[in-house]
Amino acid sequence: MARYAMAIDLDRCVGCGACVLACKGEWNVMDGGARDWVIPILPEGRFPDVASTFYTGLCNHCDEPSCVPACPTGATYQDESGRVRVDKDLCIGCGYCVAACPYGARYHDARVHKVDKCDFCAERLDPDPHREPACVQTCPASARIFGDLSDPSSRINALVYGSPARRLETAEVAIGPNVYYLGDAHHVDQILAHHPPDPHRTVPPLPGLVWSRFLRPAVLAGVAVAFAGQAAAFFYQLARGEKPFGE
Amino acid sequence: MSMEQARKHFSPEQYFAMSERMLKKHDVASIWLHWFNAAVWLVELTTGAALIVSRPYTFAPPWVIGTVGSIFESRAVMLRFHIAVGLVWIAVLALNGIFGFRHYLLHFLKNDLMLDRDDLRWFPAKIAQILGRKVELPEQGIYNAGQKAYGSVVAVGTLAIMITGLVMSFHLFGIGWVQWSIPIHFVAVGVVLAGLFVHVYMAAVLPEERPAFFSMFSGKVNELYAFMHHRKWWREMKRREAEFKKELESLDGRQGDDGNDRGSGRTS
Repeated sequence: MARYAMAIDLDRCVGCGACVLACKGEWNVMDGGARDWVIPILPEGRFPDVASTFYTGLCNHCDEPSCVPACPTGATYQDESGRVRVDKDLCIGCGYCVAACPYGARYHDARVHKVDKCDFCAERLDPDPHREPACVQTCPASARIFGDLSDPSSRINALVYGSPARRLETAEVAIGPNVYYLGDAHHVDQILAHHPPDPHRTVPPLPGLVWSRFLRPAVLAGVAVAFAGQAAAFFYQLARGEKPFGE
Repeated sequence: MSMEQARKHFSPEQYFAMSERMLKKHDVASIWLHWFNAAVWLVELTTGAALIVSRPYTFAPPWVIGTVGSIFESRAVMLRFHIAVGLVWIAVLALNGIFGFRHYLLHFLKNDLMLDRDDLRWFPAKIAQILGRKVELPEQGIYNAGQKAYGSVVAVGTLAIMITGLVMSFHLFGIGWVQWSIPIHFVAVGVVLAGLFVHVYMAAVLPEERPAFFSMFSGKVNELYAFMHHRKWWREMKRREAEFKKELESLDGRQGDDGNDRGSGRTS
């Protein structure tokens, strides 16, 4: 089974935003929402140590995605090729997953009350695996490379394992992102310095936390006690027997 | 009240006669609504439990989630089915409340839920009785205080389930409301479900309360049961029965007079 991943070469990205436009056009992304993004990071440092880059990002399709357990209905799931996807028919639009993504890679589509995010263009690729995601196909600088990481003959495999590729991970948030960054190491450091994954956004929002940590155990205990009580009463009744008259 | 206590009030003949005589406890509309409600609860509880699959929130064990899920083409279909049944439930209960406002809803709220002084005395007495002390329970109306308390829980729980269900299904009032509606929906179902075990056991399994279970089919309970468990209601029924008898007798008298007149007319 394929294991999809993406590599982004920061040395090639010119920040034109064509990938973002292609994605918006392909998936009718809501105004104000984003399945991928390009954020310029202005020059920093003193000559000759000056660094500037573009944080070009998308869903990291993490190995241990924090958004999946946050979703109550299982609408957010990880498919067999490692892509983290949203079953729109099952999504109730509660936004628990949006709050639980440390990369801010999800948004609530207010038009349809569903959550939307990058799925590596699964609907384009599944019927024809030779196609590429819209952002990859559109990038004029070929800064985005997509493919099957588990295939040793693939370009992405050679790039990720053959060069010092890095992921947007920190000591607090290390959930195995499958988007790899290539190029000057300073640029990745800049991205991590300005847009680190948020360690507070790995859990659902307050209602979800209250539910899972307090209400669920309380309700389960209450139901169990009620069931045990009536079971005990029934066994007592069995031991006592019934009378033919007078009840 | 025990059989021995009932025997103090009645001769053996009266005792057996009362166990045969029936009093009407439920209207047909109430019986249908009860079983409709029970069927909806069964369907919505199983599909609802099977819809919550994420580990931090799950309610049902995996085999229940799998079995219920396998009935439907997909889990998305199950979600639509859960919402559709819920909407039918809300519509039926709302129509019942609107058309039956005077005869059923108002009556239910006023007489079947409100606790009176005897009801308040019933709770400690019942607890003492459960703990093995010989205590006389205060006389009860058509429903005892425990049933009334559970009825109130069900009424509030039903409203909470309906409102939160509508908020989630139609995204009313914004996403914050949707996020809080899920745990509130869950808790309301859990609280009613905990009481449901006791309700089903008391009604369907406990021998002393079995006439109440059958009354949910026939609408009637025997007079001895009414006397022993709901004496205040039994007194009320006897009073109304006496009034009705009097009314019939007076009608009989009038009709007798009319009949005599007509009779005399025909014969003349």
